[in-house]
Amino acid sequence: MKLRFFLSEALDSLVRNWVMSVAAIVTVLVSMFVLGIGAVIFVNLEQASSSVRSKLEIEVFMKNTASPDQISQLGDQIRAMPEVRVVNYVSKEEAMNRLRESMKGHEDVLAALSGNPLPPSYEIYLKDPSLIDSVASRFYDNPNVDNDSIAHLGANMSPDATTLKFSTGDPSKLAAIAANMYLIVDNEVMKASGDPSGNNVSVIRAQAGTTAAAHNANAEVYNTDGVKTGGNTSDRVITVTHYIEMGGAGFVALLAVASILLISNTIRLSIFARRREVEIMRLVGATSWFIRWPFIMEGIFTGLVGATGAMVLFLLVQKYFIDKIISQMPFMGMGVDTVSTFWLILSIIGGGCLLGSLGSSLALRRFLKI
Amino acid sequence: MIRFENVTKTYDPNIVGLKDVNVHIERGEFAFLVGHSGSGKSTFIRLLLKEFEPTKGSIAVAGRNLGRMRRAAVPHHRRSIGCVFQDFKLLPNRSVAENVAYALRVTGQPVRSIRRKVPEILQLVGLGEKMNNLPDELSAGEQQRVSVARAFVNHPSLLVADEPTGNLDPDTSVGIMQLLYRINRTGTTVLMATHDREMVDKMRKRVIALEEGSVVRDEDKGLYR
Ligand SMILES: Nc1ncnc2c1ncn2[C@@H]1O[C@H](COP(=O)(O)OP(=O)(O)O)[C@@H](O)[C@H]1O
Ligand SMILES: [Mg+2]
Repeated sequence: MKLRFFLSEALDSLVRNWVMSVAAIVTVLVSMFVLGIGAVIFVNLEQASSSVRSKLEIEVFMKNTASPDQISQLGDQIRAMPEVRVVNYVSKEEAMNRLRESMKGHEDVLAALSGNPLPPSYEIYLKDPSLIDSVASRFYDNPNVDNDSIAHLGANMSPDATTLKFSTGDPSKLAAIAANMYLIVDNEVMKASGDPSGNNVSVIRAQAGTTAAAHNANAEVYNTDGVKTGGNTSDRVITVTHYIEMGGAGFVALLAVASILLISNTIRLSIFARRREVEIMRLVGATSWFIRWPFIMEGIFTGLVGATGAMVLFLLVQKYFIDKIISQMPFMGMGVDTVSTFWLILSIIGGGCLLGSLGSSLALRRFLKI
Repeated sequence: MIRFENVTKTYDPNIVGLKDVNVHIERGEFAFLVGHSGSGKSTFIRLLLKEFEPTKGSIAVAGRNLGRMRRAAVPHHRRSIGCVFQDFKLLPNRSVAENVAYALRVTGQPVRSIRRKVPEILQLVGLGEKMNNLPDELSAGEQQRVSVARAFVNHPSLLVADEPTGNLDPDTSVGIMQLLYRINRTGTTVLMATHDREMVDKMRKRVIALEEGSVVRDEDKGLYR
């Protein structure tokens, strides 16, 4: 019975003070909309950066002299590490198959190889990519591991296109290795094998000095600045995603604070215009809560209408704008998560109610001091 | 009913509102509070309603000491006092009936009894026909009747009026005076602040005269002078 009275009071005053009501609703709408867009951008950046990070890996090559026992021993050791998410064993044969696959059209290069010079290796994916260096360093003193070829691999947009990825922390060492015993094929091959970015340099292990191609490639390695040591790349990726995360969170927090201030200010204005009414109510013996409830319901209603408007606008923008943009950029590997849309809607509406009621209670405090 | 003991109220920075006032008003009495503008009449009434605290002294209304009253009890205290003001203090956007009903709603009365009591009291003050009008569609005298109806609809044991006829012409004032008189006859204590000499002299009720915040005269069946 009281509830009905409060509700009708709230609606009456919304209609009566419609200019203020519209102003408050538009304020909520705009700030919730901007907040929503900010949140979606943030969530997607997060997703994109974590998908980049999940491709970071360590590749540990065994020495060709390592026995099967030693190989499987190292495998157990890796699996026991708590930081490790996934371990793949790549046998000599598997490595060769991958190499063949990626060298389609360049079979002459392979033909120059005598036998299978590729060593077996472990591909390691970590739970937390920032640990890449500390995990990788554990393999340096293992006598069965080829120290120079522990690869910290950077972002590879197309994992299928990689052959045998290799890098070392020291570029001068890379050149030396290349000159002595490795065949290095630069990004020309990557393009040919379908890497859309074409930026990654793949390093393929082969017997030293076997083909003319090796020497040509050597020359290129020395002066290509496209040679990325994986360690640096992963560091960079991690740093950048950290900045994106921090910047995004800061931006969203700033927007939220701005919205609350705007809304409470708008409601305060509308209450200020009615402070005489409030004073009369108090003189007639209304309790603070009796006066407060209609205002709070008004705030909730304002928040609800504004947030619903924001949501509709948001869904329209997503349908006609964001989705289109994303479909233009398939390599971004992201899309607005449709599952989260439900939570987004829920939080926008909940947020609207909260903002409205919080704003009106905040604004009322000043006028309800006895 | 009302007991002021050595009450002093000083406004910031150093303005005298009331000075060492001692007043007892018995249940069922009709008393005038007279004095020039600025003599402290409104201060007296606002202290009664606990709009603010006295600087010194103690105030009791209906046996309750206002100094010891919790803040949460203040709304209940105000409901037990009907008040009428010079500027009517009606809610501008509500009908006459809704204005009167508001005083019942704050007490949490059921809708049905509100529907019964409001027309009844409006009939009593002669506004049965204007229930659904907005305040600014009424004359000043009619607005003051609405305000009296609102003050009395809860049947409070005390009704205070601060210059209720201050904005009205003499004929209309007589009508409001008669209403207050009838309300007093039902046993309600009435305290009315005024500087309407004729009215006071005609009524021959108790007169408490204030001057610069002090009580300078207090006599039964008095004149304004
Ligand atoms: N809120 C206030 N702040 C400061 N001074 C006030 C306030 N209210 C009243 N006064 C002063 O207190 C004195 C008494 O005022 P008031 O009680 O309103 O007198 P009356 O109602 O008899 O005209 C006057 O000098 C007035 O200026
Ligand atoms: Mg006054």
